[in-house]
Amino acid sequence: MRQGRAKGAAKGVGRLAERILPIASVVLFVLGWEAFVRVRGIAPIFLPAPSAIAVYLWRMILDGTMAYNLGVTLLRIFAGFAVAAVTGVALGVLMGMSRVVAAVADVWIAALYPLPKISLIPLLIIWLGTGEAYRIVISAVTAFFPIVISTYAGIRQTDRGLIKAAQDLGANARQIQLKVVIPAAIPSIFAGLHLGMGVTIILIVAAEMIGGSSQSGMGYLLINAGQVMETEKVFASLVVLAVVGAIVIKLQQWTDRLVAPWAHRDDR
Amino acid sequence: MDVLVENVTQVWGGGSRAEVVALDHFSHRFRSGRFSCLLGPSGCGKSTLVQIVGGLERATSGAVRIEDPAAPSLARPLGADSVMVWQTLNLFPWRSVIDNVAFGLEVRGIPAAERYARARTLIASVGLRGFESHLPGQLSGGMRQRVALARALIMERPILLMDEPFAALDAQTKIVMQEELLRIFEATRKTILFVTHAIEEAILLGDEVVVMTARPGRIKEVIAVDLPRPRALEMVGSPEFGALFDRTFHLIREEVTAAMRQQDAMASAS
Repeated sequence: MRQGRAKGAAKGVGRLAERILPIASVVLFVLGWEAFVRVRGIAPIFLPAPSAIAVYLWRMILDGTMAYNLGVTLLRIFAGFAVAAVTGVALGVLMGMSRVVAAVADVWIAALYPLPKISLIPLLIIWLGTGEAYRIVISAVTAFFPIVISTYAGIRQTDRGLIKAAQDLGANARQIQLKVVIPAAIPSIFAGLHLGMGVTIILIVAAEMIGGSSQSGMGYLLINAGQVMETEKVFASLVVLAVVGAIVIKLQQWTDRLVAPWAHRDDR
Repeated sequence: MDVLVENVTQVWGGGSRAEVVALDHFSHRFRSGRFSCLLGPSGCGKSTLVQIVGGLERATSGAVRIEDPAAPSLARPLGADSVMVWQTLNLFPWRSVIDNVAFGLEVRGIPAAERYARARTLIASVGLRGFESHLPGQLSGGMRQRVALARALIMERPILLMDEPFAALDAQTKIVMQEELLRIFEATRKTILFVTHAIEEAILLGDEVVVMTARPGRIKEVIAVDLPRPRALEMVGSPEFGALFDRTFHLIREEVTAAMRQQDAMASAS
């Protein structure tokens, strides 16, 4: 009995720790950082205190800089992602449906996928200039590959048993594709979309940093603040990017669960 | 509907060195309205046989004919008169119970109102009323098995092909499902081909037990089970059941030993 209760209590403590420790670790980290900067008297140019960053962040929110640049960046991210998602899923499905398409696409994917997409930036700037088209193309091209590869893998890995069962119940080839193969691939497609979203965010911000002429977006804000040594602004932008990135990814996971609840059985 | 299997041979990986003869000149007439159990060691080709009968695999040689005893000369396409129930169930995990059950009607183009009405009736008949909108992943093994059964029964095919449908169930659920199947069979008198490796199950359910040899699968003996119907689980204790069990057990023991020897030989060869 006593042992059981002790075990139960230990379990309760464990659960409490699971809840509290993640937040506590963040709070401790920020407090430690603040103390370190104050005690050692470090120049804000190198490492500003969290309190100073917070002040700058608040100012940037109040004067609208943050909302504008974040809005622009988010729009670009969603535009790039949408292009990659539509083309990537479409090609992945086509590859799954046709051996010829798969064979042809496979050669191109094998050649282009390992190529660092950032290395295309000079070419894209020559062709498209440094406007919106260049940023959307570079991010879409990068996100396209994980999406198409995951989609195709999902389509190919469809359980043979499900296909046979559908066939046995009288489904024709087209019905098997639409009602079995594509729905069965949805968890894989979502996995590809997650990877795609991650690289879209990276590429858009990077393109904003390199493009130069755009004068807008979180990447521009970062590089600009860095060049004039406003380190507080750099950190404030980083904090916003991290938080917004986390929100976007969480929203995506939430959508997945809404659209494909069967794919997350163990979460229930 | 009779299922007439004539000289069916199935060879996997034909021509290569890894060639495996799964079925070897298998011939049998599964009679209309009878419950036939195919019993044999793993790898004897019994699953392959029902898939050939269902038109889902093509035999290397030999033929399967579906014969309407009333019109024996009429050629019927394979698969059109039968429906499978799988050991792996093969339910569509993204479809609700009712959409799984109605799948066969949906692909046939039957309007939603009608197919849902029919699916609801069948779901109720297998005891799953109230679970129509659940996903398969939210159900227990036994309930999922009932969905699979309802999905097959809604097709109203005269031949039911069952490939070890209860093998993955726990002992209690298995008993309940066997009774359910007996009730359905005794009410509808479909032609049933039931694959199993459980002797007791084969005798309890079947009108005949087709005992198969280890690979390559041939018929070793066909045992007629003349226990009265309706069958009930209590019959397992009767002396008649015991005698049938012993006879089948001796036949199958030889084959299981042979199958194990084959596996040993394959393991040591590789």
